[in-house]
Amino acid sequence: MVALLVFVIPLGYTVWTATHHTSYYEIGSYSGLDSFSKLFSDGDLGHEVVTTLVFAVGALVVALPVGLVSAVVVNNARRLKRSVRSLFLLPWLMSQATVGTIWFWFLNPNYGPATQLTKALGFGPTNVFSTPTAALVAVTLITAWWSYPQAMLLFLGALQTVPVELKESMRVDGGNAWQTFRNVTLPYIRNAIVSVVVVLLMLYVQMVTIILVTTRGGPLNSTETLAMRTYNEMFVDFNMSGAAATALLLFAINIVLTLVAVRFRRKESL
Amino acid sequence: MTTTAPRHVVADRPTDEAAQTRRRRGALIRAVPRWLVTLLAAAIVLPPVAWVLSTSLKRDADTVSFPPRWIPNPFSWAQYEGIYTITNVRFLINSTVLAVGSIVLALVICVPAAYAATRFRSGRTEALMTVVLVLTMVPGIVVFIALYAMLVRTSLINTYPLLIVVYTALISGQAILFLRNFFENIPVEIEEAAAIDGCNRRQILLRVVLPLVRPGIAAIAVFIFVFVWNDFLVSTVLATSEDMKTVQNGIVRYITTGFGNFWGLFAAFVIVSFAPVLAVFVAFQRWFIAGMTSGESRDERDLSSATGRARRRRRSVRVGRVQAARGVPGGRGSCHGDRGRGPASGRPRTSTRSPGSPRRRARAG
Repeated sequence: MVALLVFVIPLGYTVWTATHHTSYYEIGSYSGLDSFSKLFSDGDLGHEVVTTLVFAVGALVVALPVGLVSAVVVNNARRLKRSVRSLFLLPWLMSQATVGTIWFWFLNPNYGPATQLTKALGFGPTNVFSTPTAALVAVTLITAWWSYPQAMLLFLGALQTVPVELKESMRVDGGNAWQTFRNVTLPYIRNAIVSVVVVLLMLYVQMVTIILVTTRGGPLNSTETLAMRTYNEMFVDFNMSGAAATALLLFAINIVLTLVAVRFRRKESL
Repeated sequence: MTTTAPRHVVADRPTDEAAQTRRRRGALIRAVPRWLVTLLAAAIVLPPVAWVLSTSLKRDADTVSFPPRWIPNPFSWAQYEGIYTITNVRFLINSTVLAVGSIVLALVICVPAAYAATRFRSGRTEALMTVVLVLTMVPGIVVFIALYAMLVRTSLINTYPLLIVVYTALISGQAILFLRNFFENIPVEIEEAAAIDGCNRRQILLRVVLPLVRPGIAAIAVFIFVFVWNDFLVSTVLATSEDMKTVQNGIVRYITTGFGNFWGLFAAFVIVSFAPVLAVFVAFQRWFIAGMTSGESRDERDLSSATGRARRRRRSVRVGRVQAARGVPGGRGSCHGDRGRGPASGRPRTSTRSPGSPRRRARAG
């Protein structure tokens, strides 16, 4: 319970700084909601919210099905079970910083191996981190690559709650694999899907590290999500009250996401 | 009733074997998409890893050659010698201290907390758990930034205790919720029995409950280890001095020096720092997976126990009936039992009685 203080005090402190003038790390006089009005009148904010959404939803759309498919595969694997499982979990065991850097290097237009491949296939070099849209897509895919094992782990747990007898009876009744999956497995893991969506979305909304080591929010702010903006405001622009305001906005988004999810879950279990 | 001979089971045996081979072949064919997916995953997951491994064994000059060579030629251990520096050793020590410290502190706090939250149910503990849940929603970046601003002028920054407390706090919400699922699985009767035998609360927790939740504890410990060891952001923000940075900072440093990118050293350090994670994971894989997958959220189990149980019961009756009607052997133990009992009771070769009703046979097993 002592650990709660580590959250509560900084949260209070963040609110305090958001409502005061700051210069570097000095807290000045009370400013009311100035930093919020500044934040909401900032022309970039809309763009950043869109970026955050594209990033989070995009990564989710990739990671969720991949996680589900790999969980089904791992769950059914008989031979080499451990190796298969380790293979699927490998990206998650690597750190975000490493993953970001490795892919950044892998896609390097001058000497990256991916460039070799695309050149051999007749395309140009993989120059993804210099064009805004491509950079956003790349960062999203890298994040999905790193995070799908988390979805897989959660799905794996849920898949084990599916009673084997039901699957067997489905087979006896002549259902094929897809019908078994749709009518037996899916209803059982519906709740798990909701929780995976929540866990992953929260992860993506707060994602800083992968973006930090690859693009730092560039080029032309195309990959600056809200979390990245918070980091940049704090450690690049030294605008603490601005960072605090953005951080609180981020917190609010997280709370909303969670509440929506909790609502979904309640309905499910009734 | 036990002497009722299911005659056509005997008659079905040859086709049964044929069906078995057919089924085996069917299983092989069904396994094809599974292996295709696995191969595809390997094609997506492995290249960057293989690339790092190969680069770590190259000479400096070869690391950025184009077209890139996948097999280092000549092999060289120079990169591994290159990363053996006093700073890097320090980084490794830092990461180890932080990881072990966080595991110990988190377990000391979270195990009793989760136990209390499970066994002493009241409005207050429920409210507290909700608070814990909400606080895990606080974006990490908010916490680091505020902590940095608060502590940058105090002597607390750049100390092990601070970093350990921060890591513990970040992970403890999840850890408590996770461990609670395990405590819920333990029947209260076991603890009551221990209490009757004269254990006090502490002894019950230490001698009875803890051994039962060991898989959960192992899983969360591995989880915390991976989390702390792989963390980049906390140590970037809250460890400002050189000698307090962690492995991940050390890795990234090789390519953000401003003196050029040392890809070879980077790759070697990635491999070295990945080795402990892999070792811990391989050593505890069984427990980790078991813990991760058995500690599902409560809702799931509610669903499977409440609606699932009823549904399952209904289905299994139907399954038994269907199988019996079709004369499918080996389904839900209806025929296994007969077969196991041998000719004496179960399966006389010649039977004068006609097989019992399908319903009765399904029960006989």
